[in-house]
Amino acid sequence: MIEATSQQRSRDTALWRRGQLLLVLVGLLCVLSITFLISEIIRDLRFLNSARSDNVHWVLSQAEVEFLDFRNAVQSAQSSTDPDALEELIVEFDVFYSRIDTLHTGALYTELRQIEPFGQSIATIRNRLDAVIPIIDGPRDQLRAALPALSEAADEIRPLLRTAATTGLQYFVERSDQSRENFASTLLRLALIAAALVLALIVLLGHTRRVGKQTETRGHELADAYSRLNTILETSLDAVIVADLDGRILNFNKAAERIFQYSTDEVLGKNIADIVVPDHHRAAHDAGMQRMRISGEQRVVGQGRVRLEAKRRNGEIFPVELALEMAESGEDEMIVAFLRDISHRVAAETELVEARDKALAGEKAKADFLAMMTHEIRTPLNGLLGNLALLEKTPLSVTQDRYVRNMDISGGVLMHHVDAVLDVARFEAGAAEPREEVVHLGRLMQDIVDSQASAAEANGNHIQWGWIGDPATWVRIDASRLQQVLLNLVGNAIKFTRDGRIVVEAECSESGLDLRVIDTGVGIPEADQERIFGDFQTIDNTGEGATAGTGLGLGIARRFVEAMDGEIGVESTEDEGSVFWVRLPLTCVDGPEEDDDPQRSCPEAQGHNILLVEDNEINLELAGETLFGLGHRVTEARNGQEAVEAAEKGRFDLILMDIRMPVLDGLGATRAIRAGNGPNRDAPIVAFSANVLPEAKDRFIAAGMSGFLPKPLVEEELVRVINQFTSGEQSAVEASVAPQKEQNTLDRLTARYVSQMNALFDWLDTGPDDMSEIAAEAHKVAGSAAAFGQPDLRDALVAVEMAAESGDRDLVERAIETARQTREHLPDPSLS
Amino acid sequence: MNLFRVVPAVVVAVSLWALQATAESLPLPEGRVLLTVSGDIEMTNDGEAATFDLEMLRALGESEIKTDTIWTPGDHVFTGVRLKTLLDHLGAEGSTIEATAINDYSVTIPMSDATEGGPIVAYAMDGKELSRRDKGPLWVIYPFSSSSDYRTEVIYSRSIWQLDRITIKE
Repeated sequence: MIEATSQQRSRDTALWRRGQLLLVLVGLLCVLSITFLISEIIRDLRFLNSARSDNVHWVLSQAEVEFLDFRNAVQSAQSSTDPDALEELIVEFDVFYSRIDTLHTGALYTELRQIEPFGQSIATIRNRLDAVIPIIDGPRDQLRAALPALSEAADEIRPLLRTAATTGLQYFVERSDQSRENFASTLLRLALIAAALVLALIVLLGHTRRVGKQTETRGHELADAYSRLNTILETSLDAVIVADLDGRILNFNKAAERIFQYSTDEVLGKNIADIVVPDHHRAAHDAGMQRMRISGEQRVVGQGRVRLEAKRRNGEIFPVELALEMAESGEDEMIVAFLRDISHRVAAETELVEARDKALAGEKAKADFLAMMTHEIRTPLNGLLGNLALLEKTPLSVTQDRYVRNMDISGGVLMHHVDAVLDVARFEAGAAEPREEVVHLGRLMQDIVDSQASAAEANGNHIQWGWIGDPATWVRIDASRLQQVLLNLVGNAIKFTRDGRIVVEAECSESGLDLRVIDTGVGIPEADQERIFGDFQTIDNTGEGATAGTGLGLGIARRFVEAMDGEIGVESTEDEGSVFWVRLPLTCVDGPEEDDDPQRSCPEAQGHNILLVEDNEINLELAGETLFGLGHRVTEARNGQEAVEAAEKGRFDLILMDIRMPVLDGLGATRAIRAGNGPNRDAPIVAFSANVLPEAKDRFIAAGMSGFLPKPLVEEELVRVINQFTSGEQSAVEASVAPQKEQNTLDRLTARYVSQMNALFDWLDTGPDDMSEIAAEAHKVAGSAAAFGQPDLRDALVAVEMAAESGDRDLVERAIETARQTREHLPDPSLS
Repeated sequence: MNLFRVVPAVVVAVSLWALQATAESLPLPEGRVLLTVSGDIEMTNDGEAATFDLEMLRALGESEIKTDTIWTPGDHVFTGVRLKTLLDHLGAEGSTIEATAINDYSVTIPMSDATEGGPIVAYAMDGKELSRRDKGPLWVIYPFSSSSDYRTEVIYSRSIWQLDRITIKE
């Protein structure tokens, strides 16, 4: 619409220009024609006025008449003796002479004289006359005597005069003809020009009429447009204020009246700053207007919406959205301001933001709580499982052995659940970034299938895996996530399948990697297939021997797959089986060179030199024994300070560093080692902590630690960490060199614990005063008591510790007494 | 432009003597009679007519007209008595003047032509007396150059040369 109007306008402008050009041309033509006509007419008029030729005919005929008079006078004088006849002759001569002289010298006859017969004839006549002048003017008798000669001269003159007269008349006849023709052609031109003028005027009139009509139409259109615009302005929900460059308000629409609470009449001509600009924006506004007036610089104008504040009549300041535009009205420039009262919106936004912040804070608190609780559960669970493992290795009766196995299974399940919850918590807490590494996909699959083979067999299942199509070898992928996902899917398949088959298919396609875990199990009802990927979703059709889970497994799998930009889904038929499929984007890479070096494949049997830093004696002993069992040399340190000192003395292949320790914690010790100039400045330092929260890990890395080994200590993980941070494959070492853990190690540990405990009570019997020392010593033994199967004692000692920390001596005495009594009824301490 | 080019006529003051003479009787010509005026006039010296020699004409007051003519080459200064002066002197009261030349060429000049800036009866051209062969002795000269009104056929026809008689008619 606007486009069309502007086109129309440009067409009209072109028409106007053409019209103007035409007008100018016609005007010029008129002026030229009129000038030309005037000059023509003047010329002709002058010619007519001057009438230079008209009496020439008469003059020529008169010349002949006067010549005849002269000749007659000569003849009369010849035939008469009357002296008057001679006088008459003289007069007639003079008259004729005068006439010829006129023809010979007169200005009127100049052109005529140019014609040879005329000019020559007249000149000859004049000469003849001049020749007889002496006779005419001489004495009368001589004149009389010369009369025959005069007569003869007259006879000679006669034909000459005749020639001159006819030539002259002929000339003037021609001239007269020509002049008539000229005049006729002038008149014709006049008529033509007049006709052309009339024509031009008609064209001009037509053009003027057309332009007039257009102007009229345009006027109507403008009026319509104006009325439409007015309607738009008046019905606009936004305030529209038009002002000139000095800020004087020219227009103030209905919405502006409503928003600013002024009536239009009140504000017209007033400065916009006085009406709508709040005092604290006043200076900036004035500066902006000044800038725009002087330099034409526009910062806000044409920049789209800007959020500002405006002022109502009652002084209320409220937020507005402002858009400024410049407009031109004739030569004046105007500012058009569109203002929208957004106070409601801003209020709603603020409310929303607050609500969102609260919700986010709540979510975070929930995730933190979950992670913390999970972590807190892991610590004692760790102790339980560790002791269970030790217990398993002691001589047990058949029944005991079964109980221990059951407990181990339950403990494992519990740990698995806790880990699942922790995974979710970690994921939610932001540890979702995939960590890609280059892995051999086939080996990864094989490892998974191998690790699950025994579990599958336990359910009477046969498990296998294979490629469909070309196999992929080395790929860049978040292997640990992929492992977790596959383990979960395979684990599920095993769990829900009895005496069946489980097949893992891998297929590389252009879109990525397709993995399918196919089982011949119970299947999943159609109605449940959607929801099983949600958190805390379990299906209650697992039949006999089913173990109810947290319902987090597939939820985690889904999270991980999505974090890896993949998809996961299931197809299943009840009682026939299920297919869980995973589609992941895949980057194939060149794998590392296969290591065929025999030196490397058969690494030295020598173990690594490892510094173990741990304040808890029992944990220290456990880890130390495990490391020793793996064939490594172990140096122990009981706090950060000792660790720093040990690190200065000799080079270690690996330092396992507990975090929470007395004197100097693990982070401080790490910083000290890294900052110093000792031999272990660049040694790998692995955090050995039960704190598995991601932010904790960040702190470890920030302190300069190289890796992380979670508590409770799991041998496989320990081996992995050692392999990761030391050169040489240690797995071979562990297999070949690891000596059987000796029974006496456990005995030694137990004995040490007992002596430690006894020493504590003996010391307490001496009635020590130092409360903090009491707390510290009680804490130390309490930590071991749980591990040695004496939880009651642990609780009692924790009570002593807390009482000592509170500083209440009576309370301490009572707690110590309770602990003593507990000690009386303790089961034997046992580690394995 | 020729049309607007005005060659001013130089007017020589009319002698006081001539003015005084109007009331007197006209003297008799002493030299050759050049002009005979007859008709409705008050002053005469030869019966019903008034005759003038050159000296008498000169005595009436000299006027000069500088002009070109269609009959002569170039500009000339014509000297003579103004027609109005002549007629006023004679007390002529007619409406037309019939002027006749030696060869009996005759024209009628309306009395209205005789004005202060009008024609003169010239007796000299460029200070030289007009001979009969030079269209003399008297030649009615209008100030042709001063106005296009004087360059018309009618005026040219009234510019009678070899003038020797004038008759004033009612």
